[in-house]
Amino acid sequence: MPRFTLPALLAAALIAAPLLSTHSFVHHLLIMVLFSTLLGLSWNLLGGFAGQVSFGHSAFLGLGAYSTLLLYLKLGLSPWFGLLAGGAVAMAVAVPIGLICFRLRGPYFSLATLAVAEIIRLVALNWDDLTAGPQGLIITHLPATSILGQTVNWESKLPFYYLIAVLALLGMGLTHLVARSRLGAYLLAVREDLESAEAVGIDTVRTRVLALALSALLVGLAGGFYGLYFRYIDPDAVFSVALSVEMVFIAVVGGIATTAGPIVGAIVLVGISETFRTQFQSGHLIFYGLFMMLVIRYLPDGIWGRVRLALKQARER
Amino acid sequence: MQMFLQSLVSGVLTGTLYAMIAVGLTIVFGVMRIINMAHGEMVMLGMFGAYWSYSLLHLDPFLSLLLWMPAMFLFGMVVYRFLLRKIIPGGELNSLLYTAGLSLLIANLALFLWTGDYRNINLPYGMLPARPFGISVSIPLAIAFGLALAITSLLSLFLSRTDTGRAIRATAQNPEAAALMGIEVGRIDMITFGLGTALAGASGVLLAPSLYLYPTVGEILIVKCFVIVVLGGLGSIPGAIAGGVLLGIVESLGSVYVSVAYKDGIGFVLFLLVLLFRPKGLFGVGRA
Repeated sequence: MPRFTLPALLAAALIAAPLLSTHSFVHHLLIMVLFSTLLGLSWNLLGGFAGQVSFGHSAFLGLGAYSTLLLYLKLGLSPWFGLLAGGAVAMAVAVPIGLICFRLRGPYFSLATLAVAEIIRLVALNWDDLTAGPQGLIITHLPATSILGQTVNWESKLPFYYLIAVLALLGMGLTHLVARSRLGAYLLAVREDLESAEAVGIDTVRTRVLALALSALLVGLAGGFYGLYFRYIDPDAVFSVALSVEMVFIAVVGGIATTAGPIVGAIVLVGISETFRTQFQSGHLIFYGLFMMLVIRYLPDGIWGRVRLALKQARER
Repeated sequence: MQMFLQSLVSGVLTGTLYAMIAVGLTIVFGVMRIINMAHGEMVMLGMFGAYWSYSLLHLDPFLSLLLWMPAMFLFGMVVYRFLLRKIIPGGELNSLLYTAGLSLLIANLALFLWTGDYRNINLPYGMLPARPFGISVSIPLAIAFGLALAITSLLSLFLSRTDTGRAIRATAQNPEAAALMGIEVGRIDMITFGLGTALAGASGVLLAPSLYLYPTVGEILIVKCFVIVVLGGLGSIPGAIAGGVLLGIVESLGSVYVSVAYKDGIGFVLFLLVLLFRPKGLFGVGRA
């Protein structure tokens, strides 16, 4: 198969998918799947490849969302630049955190991520002048943009779908590049055995900080998207532990350290959430927990990881 | 001065209870090298245990400790035997994620069964504070403090004087060597996990009369617990006790002199400072 066949097929499928239905709920579901895929991909860069489990990734999502909305509401900066700025802010906050935590071995990073997310949530909750505290921020009007000569007014869900599709493709491309690059190999070495990685001359701190920065960039972009799509954010929504856990879930269930795994994880996540959220309150979270335990126990490589292995074995036979 | 002493005393009282939770987490880490992300949910189960035995059977919460501590010990052993045992050899990452899933499962099952309402236990002797030396002390908190001290001392006696306790410490130092000396490491793991869970459950029972209880309370408690074990050094029992008391004092002084809104944040800032400057823990007993 030529090199570009798979990406081209993927892109074609992404372009065609929303045209199959005009129902706006279907579009919403597709958007949620791609949004979740992006979250899973970015968590996976750090948690999957480098084995550094973050339980506080919603901190970066919230930073991205708040930066985007605040730049628009307070300074009038176009939200589309704000989205990029959100990614940059998340990355800028991530680097010092990484420099502090990655000097240590063991689970300190996981513990610190929880604390950092909580500090940032508290600041967002109490810094009324900037963030409007628990009230949150609302966007009532999004300016129309002109793309390739077409005026896009952001009233329907379709433009949002294509925006998140572009971001998700960006995340996949980045993951693919990392997986095939020297950085990817370094990250796997760090995950498997930190001491040996150091012994062969890998700067393990810099490697992990780089992975964290890329991961935070993607989550920050996703956060900006979240803010613009839902048009409302408040500290308990965007800095919530539940969101951080969802990111872990998507990557683990789909398949750690894979490029396609997060898509599978995202479909499972959105499926569970849509099935049970309406049945009883927080019911979906029970199943997230249960599913995660079952997958780690019986499919430690995740659903996609298992499928990939089966495909490989079938090919060799 | 009065206000300083007042907040110091209440900080020490709450801090001792935090310490007890953290000791449970740290002994499990010491022996099995896993961070039990569901530890906060074990505290929550203890709290709800005390709540239900009080509201349905009119059993005094402190008396119900005799029921819930053994029950949580058994629960912990069952969780280890049927859920965790197969996971732990798969590595640190897997057990971290697995217990995170367990935490989500327990907390949200509780939310489903008992709703998210905030509940509290109104003890007949809970309203009037004792006033030794002009400092007001809540009686339930004072009793909880005494019992927490007693349980923690009993635990350290158990670890230093009994054969099983010595085997636990040996396994924490070196599992392979312990196995070679004829210690059944699997059994020790199970007992240790039971002990950690029992400590968490017992602190839940003790905290129940002094805190509001709701199914996701474990979330905030586990984060505090992490702060404590990092302050004291992961795996160290004296470190966890000192870290717990320290966090209690810092939070209590902070809410008086800095801001109530940032009370929970102060502990986290302390945590990051310790990670930055004293990664082995404040007392240099843990390992980085």
